[in-house]
Amino acid sequence: MRIYEVFLKKEGKQEFRHAGSLEAADDELALLLARENYARRAEGDRIWLVDRDHLVVGDDDFVAPNADKPHRHNDGGRVAERRQRIREENS
Amino acid sequence: MNAPDPAVREYLLSLADDEHLMGQQHTEWIGVAPFLEEDLAFASIGQDELGHAAALYALLVGDDDRAIDDLAIRRDAADYRSCHLVELDTADWAEALVRHWLYDTAEGLRWRVFGESTLPGLSGIAARAEREETFHRRHADAMLDALLSVPESADRLTAAFRHLLPIAVGIFEVVDGEAAALEMGVASASVANLLPAWQDLVVARFGPVDWQMVAPPAQDGRRLRSADFAARYTRMREVYMLDPAAVW
Repeated sequence: MRIYEVFLKKEGKQEFRHAGSLEAADDELALLLARENYARRAEGDRIWLVDRDHLVVGDDDFVAPNADKPHRHNDGGRVAERRQRIREENS
Repeated sequence: MNAPDPAVREYLLSLADDEHLMGQQHTEWIGVAPFLEEDLAFASIGQDELGHAAALYALLVGDDDRAIDDLAIRRDAADYRSCHLVELDTADWAEALVRHWLYDTAEGLRWRVFGESTLPGLSGIAARAEREETFHRRHADAMLDALLSVPESADRLTAAFRHLLPIAVGIFEVVDGEAAALEMGVASASVANLLPAWQDLVVARFGPVDWQMVAPPAQDGRRLRSADFAARYTRMREVYMLDPAAVW
């Protein structure tokens, strides 16, 4: 048995979204099982299956260092504070 | 709604009751099929069959849910026109799967006789059902392809096939009302005429069959219920009969 990730796309304009996963013996069976398990109530009008073995997966440490870089997170707070201060000084 | 012609009623029941009972049988596998995905898929396919049955029952009694329920599950057992294949209770997955293939392969052929039906609504129901049946047959074939490649599974499926094949031939037994229904243009061919095409498909799937040795079940024009029917009949009515007047 292989594991497949199931993606559904709704109403044309939306992007494909991950719907879940399933186990099946081959591609044809995976498609048919996905149809009954994830799309039997017309939850999507397009379907993609990806064999999990074909996913390119980064390990846990791969993106973790990027979580500790405050200099990349400009929420505008300091600029807003400065503009507020200048407005108050000029009023 | 006008009462339908009794012959047309009997003829439509022979397909509707097959669809209904097949749906009841398939949905029994929810929670107990060999793996989760198949468990849900098999029951979902059963739900499609129940939908086909409901659409056919509605042709006879109108769209009122209670009238459809009354026809579906409050009839006398003697008034059903199901074939024995769909009445058969089995806890054997190989049998359930082989029956799924045998039945749906026949079902596809059966819907195709309604393309030019004179009965309002029937050709549309047939077209919709056949769109779903394409996927049912692909599902049955994909499961068989996967399992027939494993020797132990292949042995079990072969045993199931040998047991079920004679019973399945009963699908093609006509009811008395069929002749009049054909005369009125409800369908373009007798169900009996579909047998050779089905036999060809069976042989292509399972290998050569000595059809002389395949004895169809005694169904008496589908008037005779098989041994398993009574328990199924009780089971499919058990909730409904707790309070038949309840509003759902």
